[in-house]
Amino acid sequence: MSPPELQLVQRVSQAPKPPTLAELTKAFSSGEEFSAALGRARSAGWITVDSNSSPPVVRVTNADGPKSLRELLESISKGAAEDSLNSKQREISKDLVKRGILEYEEERAVSISITQQGTAALSSAVGTNQIDRLTPELIASGGWKGKTLRPIDVEAKAPVFFPGRRHPVRDFIREVREAYISMGFTELQGNSVHPAFWNFDALFIPQDHPGREMQDTFYLRNESDRKLTRTGLVDRVARTHENGWKTGSSGWQYRWSVEEARRLVLRTHNTVLTVKALSESREQETRVFAVSKIYRNENLDYKHLAEFHQMDGIIVGKGLNVRHLMGFLREFYKKLGLSEFKFWPTYFPYTEPSIEIIVYSEKAKDWIELGGSGVFRPEVTRPLGVKVPVLAWGPGIERLMLVRYGLKDLRELYDSDLSWYRSRQEIASS
Amino acid sequence: MDRLPYIGLDIEGSDAKTVRVEYSPNRPDFGTDYGIARALRGTMGKETGLQTYKSLPSGITVTVDPRLASVRPYIACVTATGLKMDDEDVRQLISLQEDLHNGLGRRRRRVAIGLHDMAAVAPPISYSAKPSSFGFKPLDCKTKMSIGEILTGTDQGKLYGAVFKGKNLYPVITDAKGTVLSFPPIINGDATKVTTKARSLFIDVTSTEVRAGENVLAILATTLGEMGARLGTVRIGYSKSTKVTPNLRPSKMQLNLRLVDEILGLGLSRNQVVECLRRSRLGVDGNNVLVPSYRFDIIHPVDIAEEVALGYGFDRISSFYPESRQPGSFNPASQFHERAADIMAGSGMVELMTYELIDEATLYTKFGRGGEDRIQVENPRSLEHSILRDSLVPSLMATLTRNVKEEYPQRVFEIGRVYLRERGTVSEEWRLGCLIAHSQSSYTEAKTYLESFVRLMSGKEAATQPSQHWAFASGRCGAVSLGGVSIGHVGELTPESVVSFQLGVPVSGFEIRLSPIYERLK
Repeated sequence: MSPPELQLVQRVSQAPKPPTLAELTKAFSSGEEFSAALGRARSAGWITVDSNSSPPVVRVTNADGPKSLRELLESISKGAAEDSLNSKQREISKDLVKRGILEYEEERAVSISITQQGTAALSSAVGTNQIDRLTPELIASGGWKGKTLRPIDVEAKAPVFFPGRRHPVRDFIREVREAYISMGFTELQGNSVHPAFWNFDALFIPQDHPGREMQDTFYLRNESDRKLTRTGLVDRVARTHENGWKTGSSGWQYRWSVEEARRLVLRTHNTVLTVKALSESREQETRVFAVSKIYRNENLDYKHLAEFHQMDGIIVGKGLNVRHLMGFLREFYKKLGLSEFKFWPTYFPYTEPSIEIIVYSEKAKDWIELGGSGVFRPEVTRPLGVKVPVLAWGPGIERLMLVRYGLKDLRELYDSDLSWYRSRQEIASS
Repeated sequence: MDRLPYIGLDIEGSDAKTVRVEYSPNRPDFGTDYGIARALRGTMGKETGLQTYKSLPSGITVTVDPRLASVRPYIACVTATGLKMDDEDVRQLISLQEDLHNGLGRRRRRVAIGLHDMAAVAPPISYSAKPSSFGFKPLDCKTKMSIGEILTGTDQGKLYGAVFKGKNLYPVITDAKGTVLSFPPIINGDATKVTTKARSLFIDVTSTEVRAGENVLAILATTLGEMGARLGTVRIGYSKSTKVTPNLRPSKMQLNLRLVDEILGLGLSRNQVVECLRRSRLGVDGNNVLVPSYRFDIIHPVDIAEEVALGYGFDRISSFYPESRQPGSFNPASQFHERAADIMAGSGMVELMTYELIDEATLYTKFGRGGEDRIQVENPRSLEHSILRDSLVPSLMATLTRNVKEEYPQRVFEIGRVYLRERGTVSEEWRLGCLIAHSQSSYTEAKTYLESFVRLMSGKEAATQPSQHWAFASGRCGAVSLGGVSIGHVGELTPESVVSFQLGVPVSGFEIRLSPIYERLK
């Protein structure tokens, strides 16, 4: 900030004709500030108030004074030591410090130098046999030979460093994928957006099932798959809903709507991917899996997310039954470090029997429900042209992640908290 | 209590006197203690086989107005006499009614139930269509109201009235004296209100689908049967046919022992299978399984196999893992994404996984762009997660905002999905987004990471030329291409966006499509 008297002189000298007092007052924030500036500039002899004109005008009488003050301020603004100022400047700057325009700081410098005795002690202790650090020059010249490195404080703290890292959930997904591959599964990847047909109808979920409502499912606004028509597979599925078609079922006994099946949804489970693969494959024996994101219209809280992951898989093959399903699940979770299980009956519209998987976690010291599994109903498989049993499951992965990282809140996994991502332990157990 | 999960009841919590359980929507017969006890007696072997319920004609008839065919066509009724209900019984009956309304009844749209004190009902009964001016005293109301007033002026009317959209006739159940029993599916009349003093009940179930209504009535009737009531049938007179409700005769399904063994693999003898079915409270008659009327979830012979498993006990099934005869394989595209992420993490970047559904401010407003062709979801519970992102940069910027207190430099990346509107449809695309935030962050630094990534993944050099992009400052933005195919942008974030995301340091970064690099490798 420049002192007000300087601002005043500048205004006067830049004005096209000598300004009146009233004109100058306007340039200042207060009348008080203006009269202080006028007083100082006059007493320093920089200006004069010419009362011969009416109204009186202000003229510059000494331009050198303001100029030297400006130069002084400029040099001080770069940081000037008090010693470098002459006595006149020192006086002015003292006044400016008082007025709060300059700041006065005291610095104290201490220099330490080695004494003659010190130098002597050093040369006797180190001699010339120690080097501070190995340099390219020393390596090239061979100058390091016969010398040792000066000992340093090996206990001193080293600076903290954050390496690049994979996301904890991706780390876990990688493990899950490897477990699947080791058990002979082929990995699937697919879109998130599907017609409701694949997400629901093909899985024998009736069109008025509460789970299909907007409260639970994300439908894309004003989007539908107009290419979907009631022919071929779609018709077989429709008839299965209506009266069971040739599946041996009585069906759901209602009128199926193609419009409802056309609506686009964000997949609410990855079974949509395994069932699609099932419809495309003519293999009588196959194992496929998909670990990917699913979407539910939820309010986020410690145990609910709107986007999370499931690790779905199916095994297709003649002669497969519930015992094989339980056997697979045990083997699979063993690979993820879990070994105690319970299998409870549960219900899904597309599997029969339907089994809830419960595992014991040593780390959490508790049983945790991981999700569902079962044998696909004929109402699902027959319209797809599949005549052999299909074992299916789609447990979530986030709950296992909580146990693994000792977290209480699902949201923490996706909070993008860099401090956790940077510092979390690399290998955690379930 | 240990057995509850093995009949399909999930224990929610318990104390010294009570256990809270959750039951699946396919088993509405578990809606009261009576239904659960019936099942438990079976699995524990105390009482097995089919439970039958006697019903005698009540002598009551219901005449159905043919004009209801386009409004709410079906009605099914039952009477229950000789009841001794305590508070707990009434509470359970009402909670069963609520569950049936919400589940099978699809929030009363498909099926609605009316419970009435039979002492206040004078048969015969008529189920008829009335105009909106028709009035009566609704349940727990002090005064008479018209149908129109009920629909617009009561909570129930507002909640359930949508079923009458576009209709000008309304279903009303009245008795011989003109007393209103019910205006389904909205509200009952006050005159026939049920209290613990009621010794006999008249129950009406109206529906838009005949089978759904009869199923609901079967649950109610058999539950009342379990409570010790004597059940009475009601004759329903439609214009062209008559029907006697409830129908509590068991249905038959073929006993297919081979199918049972195919699904369960337990090698059970016929006698063992029959015993398991009896423990699940089903009957067996020769080659047929007798399925009680309240078990309408059994619609296919595979459901019989599950009943065998339930009777056998899921915990007794021994498991067996069949080794695979073929090797597994990764999906090449996901494996490519894995390798891409490894390269980025190896360059010192921290990987992020952010939400694909985000909010308007993050995606558009903070970058000063409009988002006219946004892809939105219907009825999102939270506006924070309502629009499908078309770019990764906004999600990554929001992450930097959350981490302003964390040590800089911050270098982050995400391999994630974005959604685009293309040729009238929604397409999905995998991208790599990367942001670098610290006091010296610059275009050159971002380009260094970008070029090394592209080089390491594709073996080719990326080219950049001056460009414009909503995220990047003019003059500090390059369009990135690989072999003549445009793959994305690199640049310094605009000062406006840095400030709107409340960041105190400059940010640079890039966002590229991964498929062009992947396609070149194939």
